[in-house]
Amino acid sequence: MQEVTLRVNGEDYTRKVEGRTLLAQFLRDQLRLTGTHIGCDTTQCGACTVLMDGRAVKSCTILAAAADGAEVQTIEGVAEGERLNFVQQAFHEHHALQCGFCTPGMVMAATDIIRRHEGVLDEMTVRRELEGNLCRCTGYHNIIKAVLAAAEVYRRSKAPAQATAN
Amino acid sequence: MNAHPDGGRSGNALGAGDIPQMNWDQTGPEMKMVRDALFRHVGKPVRRKEDHRLLTGKGRFTDDFLLEGQTYAAIVRSEHPHARIISISADAALAAPGVLEVLTGADMVQDGIGPLAHNPLPSTKFDMKLCAPGGGIPFVGEHHALAIDKVRHVGEAVAVVVAETPGQAADAAELVEVEYEALPHVVDSAQAAAQGAPVIWDEVPGNVFVESSFGDWDATERAFATAAHTVEADFHVSRVTAVTIEPRAAVAQYDPETGRYELFAGSGGAVKHKGELARCFGIDANRIRVHSYDVGGNFGARNRVYPEFALVMWAARRTGRPVKFTATRSEAFLTDYQGRDLRTKVALALDADGKFLAMRADNLSNVGAFCVSLSPLSKGAGLITGSYDIPVAALRARAVFTNTMCTQAYRSSGRPEVTYAIERLVELAARKLGVDPLELRRKNLVHPEQMPYRNAVGQYYDSGEYEQNMDRALELFDWDGFAARKDEASQRGKLLGRGFANYVESSIGSPKERAEIEVFDDGRIEVVIGTQPSGQGHETSFAQVVADMLQVPVERVFIIIGDTDVVSVGGGSHSGRSMRHAGTVMAMASAELLALARGHAAEMLETAADELAYADGVFHQRGTNRSVSLQDLAARLADPLRVVTDNEMHTPVFPNGAAICEVEIDPNTFHVAITRYVSVDDVGRCINPMIVHGQTHGGIAQGVGQAMWELCAIDHDSGQPIAGSFMDYGMPRTDNMPFFISEIAEVISPTNPLGVKAGGEGGTTPALATVTLAVLDALAGMGVEDIAMPLTPQAVWQAVQDAANTQAKK
Ligand code: FES
Ligand code: FES
Repeated sequence: MQEVTLRVNGEDYTRKVEGRTLLAQFLRDQLRLTGTHIGCDTTQCGACTVLMDGRAVKSCTILAAAADGAEVQTIEGVAEGERLNFVQQAFHEHHALQCGFCTPGMVMAATDIIRRHEGVLDEMTVRRELEGNLCRCTGYHNIIKAVLAAAEVYRRSKAPAQATAN
Repeated sequence: MNAHPDGGRSGNALGAGDIPQMNWDQTGPEMKMVRDALFRHVGKPVRRKEDHRLLTGKGRFTDDFLLEGQTYAAIVRSEHPHARIISISADAALAAPGVLEVLTGADMVQDGIGPLAHNPLPSTKFDMKLCAPGGGIPFVGEHHALAIDKVRHVGEAVAVVVAETPGQAADAAELVEVEYEALPHVVDSAQAAAQGAPVIWDEVPGNVFVESSFGDWDATERAFATAAHTVEADFHVSRVTAVTIEPRAAVAQYDPETGRYELFAGSGGAVKHKGELARCFGIDANRIRVHSYDVGGNFGARNRVYPEFALVMWAARRTGRPVKFTATRSEAFLTDYQGRDLRTKVALALDADGKFLAMRADNLSNVGAFCVSLSPLSKGAGLITGSYDIPVAALRARAVFTNTMCTQAYRSSGRPEVTYAIERLVELAARKLGVDPLELRRKNLVHPEQMPYRNAVGQYYDSGEYEQNMDRALELFDWDGFAARKDEASQRGKLLGRGFANYVESSIGSPKERAEIEVFDDGRIEVVIGTQPSGQGHETSFAQVVADMLQVPVERVFIIIGDTDVVSVGGGSHSGRSMRHAGTVMAMASAELLALARGHAAEMLETAADELAYADGVFHQRGTNRSVSLQDLAARLADPLRVVTDNEMHTPVFPNGAAICEVEIDPNTFHVAITRYVSVDDVGRCINPMIVHGQTHGGIAQGVGQAMWELCAIDHDSGQPIAGSFMDYGMPRTDNMPFFISEIAEVISPTNPLGVKAGGEGGTTPALATVTLAVLDALAGMGVEDIAMPLTPQAVWQAVQDAANTQAKK
């Protein structure tokens, strides 16, 4: 057992963990943040994707012990109160979720992609970069649409005031 | 294929008189009103009510539940495809840290727990009836939650270990020592059905436990004997698995005081599971409460009870602690109920003009080690003739045991298999006759004037405009622009191909459904219903239906599902039955509720019931300003404003459509890319087009996935499954899927008051055929005439090599 301290969705948590505990298990079982899902055991489905120090990671690939001191954002920390953020809202508008199991991972991965590209994205880039997140329900059609729409919202919000003024 | 030895006929003998021609407007004034009101929300892409919780991490999936004092189960599984269990030693496991209990099949027998009560035979009035060879009820094999004397497939549960943590349980499971005596095994259906194959069940020496024949064998024989042309083919529609992204899971607790079990397990129907588990435990059904809330995908795999559901319940009773099981992905690949695996030999007889005269089919379904479901065989049996008017047919349908994981209905149970067979056969016929395959299809399609149409094996297609689907699909695809696209591709050194398929499928499903509707004094309306969504958005589309009928805002209607203490009756969600069954019973309940409310309103306003007009949730007394709303009534009545309505509805519907796939093949790497995909689907009345399109997209991906990459590969020599993770099971991914072009056709079904057929499986049904035909079209110039799924680069390369070798020999 080892003691770790993580900042998760803006709050600090100190907990004892077994050496083999994965970050995904830590979030789900010890912090009861069950929005982070586990869909495989080979790091290939992406259901467990969270942001760690601002970057998308598959939390089933990281030991909780190795995340000591890290800042983590999970799906529970994305909305502002009851209000969906722009990525969540785009998923809702575009019907980019059916069963919703892949959804938290999709939203977190999409957030990272959108930020890294500063909202400038095309279909092929989204398809290439989201390839590590599996969805069995949607055929991806509406997920790609939602990510492109969210990217557009992001780009506009970041555009210089001048550009949007006229 | 030879004629059936006894030349006999069995199966459906329904007459046209059995098909009810309903006039729903005559079922009472309230029903007329309800139907008239139908179109306010219905047909609109209302955004989903379930999204908010799922997008914010507040979903309630099975593994999310943590019960007080919860322990964890790990399963010891057979590594043999077929073996006798000599002994099981649990001593080392029991001594391991944190271990509470190790249970085996012998303990289970001692505790009086019986086999899982699967009830595999489709039994509604309109199902194709299957029987044992020579007649009678087929022997289906007892599927125990733990193997008792022998194991029959790799992955079969042999023992369960319960420990304080998941890690301790997994560690201890490795310490359980099982001694086996290996037996000869067989995994392939054709080999299992052949003479001298290893016997899986002593009760069925030849392994074939179902053999039924359908159609008119003599007439078919005559037609083939005199036909100008005949074509035949032999296909194996490969085995795949559902791969719900949420692995299956279950957690149970037991209350010794009340003797009640409580099970949390996501499924396709909690009510059905409750009943089946009660039979398995030999107890009264009200001693079990099942919860099934958010379900991370089903596609058929979760419609049947899993052994682990019974195991966690039993272990919870034995240990006095709640017990949870969550499958790893490897366990899911090994032991989720799998799909397809049908061998089919088909033949078609045509006259000199290309008119279809007769068809033969010989279908062999691989059910695995136990018979969990015969739905795929039965569903497919009813649709062998596809969308075509084929006057006579002869079908033999058989099912065989093998040493493999059990199969079950998987997205569009049985229909993609037979659609693949008939569409490929039609294409072969066109080639043989030297005619345009589309023209051959047109010439033989079932026409709207023929509806309801009785096909050659006795199924009645309710409605549809098949040729119109074809035309629309061709237009959306830009069929005529293909030549130019092909030229452009060939300039880039690529091979372009296109594949077309028509399809018709059936939606039958469990006939009973109940709806309870209650209006509360805060204006909230709750609808309790026994279907079980897993992403289909019932909380939204059902609310749309009830909101329309009661003429209230959709935001005020809440659908209650998934707790068997609240939902008492319900057929669950399978076979595309949900909207049709739930929609119908909700329409009836809405009408009843309005009739009840009208009576109360009349009393309250001291007028005659027929003096009242109803609009927007309010009863008005005509010619006055006196009115009372549903909400007021609920607030002022002493008793709840509530109705409970039951309905039983057997008549099937036949969703139909057409789809086209375009592929681009790289002749150097043999990589196949899907470049265009069009689907036109007649779903009957469409309640929420946004949801239906979403269903189509997902359905296409699953069909394309099977055609292109997916395969539950099994090594024949060792009997070992070799696809155990996402590293060796190819999946549709963002980067190998295109955008889809889908269109909904709404030919209203006369069989139910909403006119619903079904949406959700139409994307899958034709896709195996469209993709395969597209690849064959692209490779036609290289002499390739046949190729088996999945169409991996290696398979394509092999097909090209084989064709070259064959040509060299000529
Ligand atoms: S659970 Fe982490 S990638 Fe699948
Ligand atoms: S919505 Fe079900 S897996 Fe993506």
